[in-house]
Amino acid sequence: MVKTKNKVILSAAVTLLAAVTLAGCSNNSSSSSSNSAVKFSTAYKNSAATDKNATKNGTLKLAMPSNSPFQGITDPVLAPNATDAEAFAPGGENSLFNVDKNYKIVDGGLANQKLDRKAKTATITIRSNAKWSNGSPVIAKDVEYAYEVLGNKESTSSQYSSDFENIEGMAAYHKGTASTISGIEMPNGEKGKKVVIHFKQMTPSMKFSGNSYIWGSIEPYEYIKDVPIAKLASSEQIRKNPIFVGPYKLDKVVEGESTSWSPNKYYYGKKAQIGHITINVVSLNNIDKALQSKKYDSVVPEVAGSLGGTDYKNLKNLKGYAKVGQPALGYSYFAFNLGHFDTKTGKNVEDSSKKMSNKSLRQAMMYAVNVDQVSKKFGNGIKWRANTLIPPVFSKYYDKSAKGYPLDIKKANKLLDDAGYKKRNGSKWRSDPNGKKLVIHFGAMSSSATTEATYQNYLQQWHKIGLNVKYANGKPMEVNSFYDTLQKPNQNSIDLWLGAWSLSSEPTQTQLYGETAPFNMGHFATKKNTELINKMNDSSAWNDETRTKTFKEWQEYMNDQAGVVGDQFNYAWQPVNKRVKGFDISPANDEFYSNLTLTSSKLK
Amino acid sequence: MWKTILRRIMIMIPEVIILSLLVFLLAKAMPGDPFTGSINPKADPAQLHHLMKLNGLYDPWYQQYWNWVVHLFHGNLGNSYQYQEPVTRLIGSRAVNTLWLALFTTILTYCFALPMGMYAAKHEGKLPDSIIRVYTYVTYCIPFFVILVIGIWIFGYVLGWFPTTGSISSTATPGIGSIGSRFYHILLPGILGALFGTVNVVQYLRSEVIDAKRSDYVRTARSKGVPEKDIYKHHIFRNSLLPIAAFAGYSITGLLNGSLFTETVFSYPGMGLLFINSISYRDYTVITALVLIYGILNLLGTLLSDIILSIVDPRIRIE
Repeated sequence: MVKTKNKVILSAAVTLLAAVTLAGCSNNSSSSSSNSAVKFSTAYKNSAATDKNATKNGTLKLAMPSNSPFQGITDPVLAPNATDAEAFAPGGENSLFNVDKNYKIVDGGLANQKLDRKAKTATITIRSNAKWSNGSPVIAKDVEYAYEVLGNKESTSSQYSSDFENIEGMAAYHKGTASTISGIEMPNGEKGKKVVIHFKQMTPSMKFSGNSYIWGSIEPYEYIKDVPIAKLASSEQIRKNPIFVGPYKLDKVVEGESTSWSPNKYYYGKKAQIGHITINVVSLNNIDKALQSKKYDSVVPEVAGSLGGTDYKNLKNLKGYAKVGQPALGYSYFAFNLGHFDTKTGKNVEDSSKKMSNKSLRQAMMYAVNVDQVSKKFGNGIKWRANTLIPPVFSKYYDKSAKGYPLDIKKANKLLDDAGYKKRNGSKWRSDPNGKKLVIHFGAMSSSATTEATYQNYLQQWHKIGLNVKYANGKPMEVNSFYDTLQKPNQNSIDLWLGAWSLSSEPTQTQLYGETAPFNMGHFATKKNTELINKMNDSSAWNDETRTKTFKEWQEYMNDQAGVVGDQFNYAWQPVNKRVKGFDISPANDEFYSNLTLTSSKLK
Repeated sequence: MWKTILRRIMIMIPEVIILSLLVFLLAKAMPGDPFTGSINPKADPAQLHHLMKLNGLYDPWYQQYWNWVVHLFHGNLGNSYQYQEPVTRLIGSRAVNTLWLALFTTILTYCFALPMGMYAAKHEGKLPDSIIRVYTYVTYCIPFFVILVIGIWIFGYVLGWFPTTGSISSTATPGIGSIGSRFYHILLPGILGALFGTVNVVQYLRSEVIDAKRSDYVRTARSKGVPEKDIYKHHIFRNSLLPIAAFAGYSITGLLNGSLFTETVFSYPGMGLLFINSISYRDYTVITALVLIYGILNLLGTLLSDIILSIVDPRIRIE
């Protein structure tokens, strides 16, 4: 689906919170899944014939489920979170590349990419007929300018990362000591069609969209060049009258509420067929009712999934609507506090003195929770237990056979007994192997009643095996305090917690669980882990088979170590009205909006 | 009176300074900051620190406060971290939405409530009075968000009479079309707000009218043979408006407060939602600006109420 490609996933803490609520995932939709109750296809195959008149003059109405207005920043480099990407999706998000179903970059998009391992370059060639929606051609400078906006010292973008300093000269530009990025070359000049990026090091992840080295969208340089980069996000060119390279052009944006679109006659690819598209923000409280009363054809496709289990229960039998879905780019997880972040060396270090550093204790806690049942009860079939840390959307790397931690109270008790966590002096609770009182603090984010009920269930299960587990701070925490606590270099107030990640479409684990990753908030950093994670992106990983093997090995290792354990996967699913034809949310469908037609002028 | 008003305004200055200092410090005391909130696997904490530095968030608080005050006097409330646009523009666009809705709701509320209160008092103890009293208590008891959800469901979704999201149609044409569309969008939340927000006005007016009915000057008027209609119109009504007038100042400045419930249910971007979102995103510039505006409005509201009271009741003089 169009909106996912090349998109670095932006998830505000609040989105993360939503992800916990909505989290759940599945096996790849095409393969069978043992745990999830429902199966989805990524496409709705409508056998009805397209109504040419209805398509040409009709309006496709899309809802965007959200409790807050969108920010209105059309530029993917500057947008602070995914809601803006959704609101402006029909414009194509200025994406550079087409991808296949594994998010691997393929030829045929706005530009093609060629990697040269020997010369350490990536060559990006823009197609000759590519134009912006104001008719001006897409030029090499448009590609280059994205890096300038991204890395400029004054930029308001939060997307820049030290990974981009793998590009020659980027570090100097970011510091402000150089006025251009020396490693980005435009052999045929700014108005040419070719860009060559020189890297210090080539990595296999560069083959995939969403990687952290090659930015996947462009900037309309000629259109915005007079606006200082620091003021770009608030400029008219970005907010009121933005231009796009996708199949639709923006007719109107009502700040924070809605956008409306009509076909972009300058689009290089398949011409858009539906006359108009409107996207409206609809409160999460009303989205089910809005769809039930046929106000909308569907919701804007979202890779992390914008509709949850309760919505599924309410909408699954909705007359006139089909359902499509695929495993979401995200998961929720349990993580344990195992060490600290050494701010001097910039590395995560494990401390054997931490309460949770005993592997048996961690494993026992994971065997004690009944994620299967919780998912069944509250997920309504669109969530299921995560058996590993790579979600099934990465069908190639996902280890389907991994067992993970199904409920096994007996085993949990045995693990604790063997490790010396025994009940002493007639106490109701187990003490640690040294006979000291053991109280474990569980961190969780305040959320919906349903999600908080699952926390209660988890606590209850831990009590069952004799572990005195309490909420850190006595209750679920407000999201900012939660992450504020976890991001301290060394903290002892949370021993284990439940969190969630939305993911980029490139599955390298360095930024989540790497030795130097500040987001490795549990500080799980064994030698073996570092070794495996590095192997995911070293020269051996250019071979797909080896890379796949490394990913599976890592998943097995992580499951055994239980430093971080998957909680739930979920489907990103949505209903679609049966008057719509060509609705396919697969990542490989690079012409999502152009492929849509209508089979009648009224919703079915 | 003008002297008094001037003096009152002068007193407001230190009040506003203390308020701004408190607001500023309290906002900074909240855990988190505008950037750690946006944690995601691809965001580099180094970049977040860079942004914190760029925005001066690591400076000592007094320096941050001073910078903020200096900007304030240049009419610059800073940039929103979340929306990445000037706070003045952001608040401006939300304030317009909120003002439209609040003004409409308030006018409608008085249109419903004043006749109801008068009628109930006139027929004190009789059936219409009981009906109106029961009505106001029932509407007062039901939480407003329940009304909104039921209202949007029946009139928005089932019957389809009213739009259900936003403040304007995405296809509205500029000019008359857009004004019409805006009005159409505030119709349902406005009517619901007015129908279910009558209790204060009705009850105050009713009890005041009942009191006034028994007062000496009314009896005198009656004995002089003034027609009943005129008694109500000229003698009772004006006097009974006193407690409502006392509110009026607040109602006028309160128009900008926004209603979180209405805005959430109708996805109507207004001040209430902006305030809540800015808090959860730690959007300091927006939080401080909003609290400061609300604070000043409240101070002005008190003053305005006093002025209105003195106009309605010549016996009251601000000295």
